[in-house]
Amino acid sequence: MVDNILQVEHISKSYTGHRALDDVSLSVPRGAVYGLLGPNGAGKTTLIRIINRITLADSGSVLLDGKPMQAEDIFHIGYMPEERGLYKKMRVGEQAIFFARLKGMSRREAERRLHNWFLRLGLDEWWGRKVEDLSKGMAQKVQFISTVVHEPKLLIFDEPFSGFDPINANLLKDEILGLHDRGATIILSTHNMASVEEICDHMTLINKSRNILSGSVEEIRRTAGGNVFEVIHRSNSQTLAEAITPIAQLLGQSEGIVGGYTRSKIHIPKDEDVREVIARLNDHCGLRSINEVMPSMNDIFIRAVNGTL
Amino acid sequence: MNKTKLIIVREFSERVRKKSFIITTLLMPLLMIGLMVAPSLMMMYGGGEQKQIVVIDRTGVVAENLTPTPEVQYIEHNDLSIQDACRIYGEQSGVFGILYIGSDIEARDSVTLISNSSSTPVIEESISKQLNEIVKRNKLAELGYDVDSLERVMQSVETNIDIRTRINNGTGDMEAMESSSSGINYALGMILGMLLYMVIILYGQMVLTSVVEEKSSRVIDVLVTSCTPFQIMMGKILGIALVALTQIAVWAVLIISASKFLIPALFSAEVAASNDMMMQALVGTLGDTGYIASLFAYLILFILGGFLLYASLYAAAGSAVDSVQDGQQFNTIIMMPIILSLIIMMSVFNDPNSPIAFWASIIPFTSPIVMIARIPFGIPTWEIIVSLVTLYLSFVVVAWVAAKIYRIGIFMHGKRPSWRELGRWLRM
Repeated sequence: MVDNILQVEHISKSYTGHRALDDVSLSVPRGAVYGLLGPNGAGKTTLIRIINRITLADSGSVLLDGKPMQAEDIFHIGYMPEERGLYKKMRVGEQAIFFARLKGMSRREAERRLHNWFLRLGLDEWWGRKVEDLSKGMAQKVQFISTVVHEPKLLIFDEPFSGFDPINANLLKDEILGLHDRGATIILSTHNMASVEEICDHMTLINKSRNILSGSVEEIRRTAGGNVFEVIHRSNSQTLAEAITPIAQLLGQSEGIVGGYTRSKIHIPKDEDVREVIARLNDHCGLRSINEVMPSMNDIFIRAVNGTL
Repeated sequence: MNKTKLIIVREFSERVRKKSFIITTLLMPLLMIGLMVAPSLMMMYGGGEQKQIVVIDRTGVVAENLTPTPEVQYIEHNDLSIQDACRIYGEQSGVFGILYIGSDIEARDSVTLISNSSSTPVIEESISKQLNEIVKRNKLAELGYDVDSLERVMQSVETNIDIRTRINNGTGDMEAMESSSSGINYALGMILGMLLYMVIILYGQMVLTSVVEEKSSRVIDVLVTSCTPFQIMMGKILGIALVALTQIAVWAVLIISASKFLIPALFSAEVAASNDMMMQALVGTLGDTGYIASLFAYLILFILGGFLLYASLYAAAGSAVDSVQDGQQFNTIIMMPIILSLIIMMSVFNDPNSPIAFWASIIPFTSPIVMIARIPFGIPTWEIIVSLVTLYLSFVVVAWVAAKIYRIGIFMHGKRPSWRELGRWLRM
């Protein structure tokens, strides 16, 4: 059985006249980088707030390490809300120490680790400044550090990359992966598909309050792939089409690429033997390479939301 | 408890390091002295310039006896008609107004002040005082008295008797009885009551503002992943209470050291020589360091209890709203018993032991302000103890209720909750 750090079971939540979550279940394997995807207003943040016990669910349960979650369990979770919360008038360093000590760290340990983090993220000059003097991106970094400094086993980020320029988003991504390497399980919500593709190994897609797609990213992309292959070959597309018929079909237009080769996309139905197609291509078309084409998460997201997956 | 302590320390140290806190703490005693001295200074120097008044006297005997005062100077013009006077001495003439005295000065509406700008009580009082004096002298003269010698006689027999009040100690040894002065008790009660009122309102609203800020900046979302809402609420209330107590402690040290060193050094010789009982009592009271210190001890107990009680309400109110403006409605409701306390406090000064004074100083929502105002008058210790115990017990109950609203309110955004919703939160 898979070792799940977090299980969400049949969670429903309604606000007056609006159903925010409708029977949502999902399992987060220990050690995963878990993406919570969905269009704006799908219910991602509500789900995260329920996991963090900020909002109470109308029905359903949340299990941490297989046991129903208790109020104290939340102290072992690092949570970075989408609307960042820092005391504006407080000095950056003191504030970070305050949050770290609330998480149970000693002052000395908190200071040591925080100085380390501040140096890593290029914030060390801002230690003695007030939060209101920081730019939005820097304040977000401070928030990030405050979330992770006590190295909890479960980290939840709500839209961690929003508001960052590409360079800093990348920096943050590397830090999140670093925390993952050191053993943390990560849950992040986002509507930025590219980041899911890059760092998530599992995901759930929430649309209109329901979980419409859940599983490992690899599997989802393979399933959604629709058995499309990209072929690079010497012959023209006409020859290729004749060669593979009736086992497979040529899809769309082929295009010529450098070195006198042609690139074509073909569809091989699931029950056909791919090796047979490869043999024919090899014999008749001067095959150079053949690859299964993975759809981008963006395609999957749009197709799933539109119900055409 | 450790987390609550962290929150208390944060609330406290963020506030006492503010410049505004340091400045108000040091300047407040000066400001209070200023407020006490200012009215008499204004009376002395704030009189404004002397006003010129044209007098038309139809009696023929009054105007000649009017003498100039610091407020008013008179110009006699008995020959003018009112119409002419009004024309000549209009606004451009620089004259303040026209005083018209009809032929029978004691008839109704006989004396009229026609002024070019708005008149003041000081001027009117100065005029009517002189007129009364003149008419009185005239009447005495008519009755055949020699007014000047009569006046000398009146002055020679004038007396001024002060009452020395002492508290009965059962022995009959008057010197051993504690002397008391209702005037000073009144002043002390007033100052203590007002101080308590100010602290509860200012620091109570600080709790409300700070809860709202934490909520609207979403800091609260981060905090609750580390500690419980109850810890956050109590940490905040206790932290701010500590700030208030620090401020009062600084004042206490300033005033007690003034009582110990400054008052005896400045006044003892003068006062012993003077005959003014009020002054003696004042210096006696202010120089009684033990008494002043005990007053501060009571003050701190009642301020702490009163603040904790009201701060719990303010915290609940702050948690239920999204902005300080939205909190105004709740603020008004919380203010009501505080204002009521002030009104009752005023009546306490007439009779510190009336039933209303007694009950208002036992019932927790009015007790801090009313009781602290009564204490200078000498209240049985058991009453003070009952009042304190009730106050602190009701704080526990109110804080428990407030925490139930707070723990839900801090996560609710959007519309301000109705009373029915608040009721539902209590039962959740």
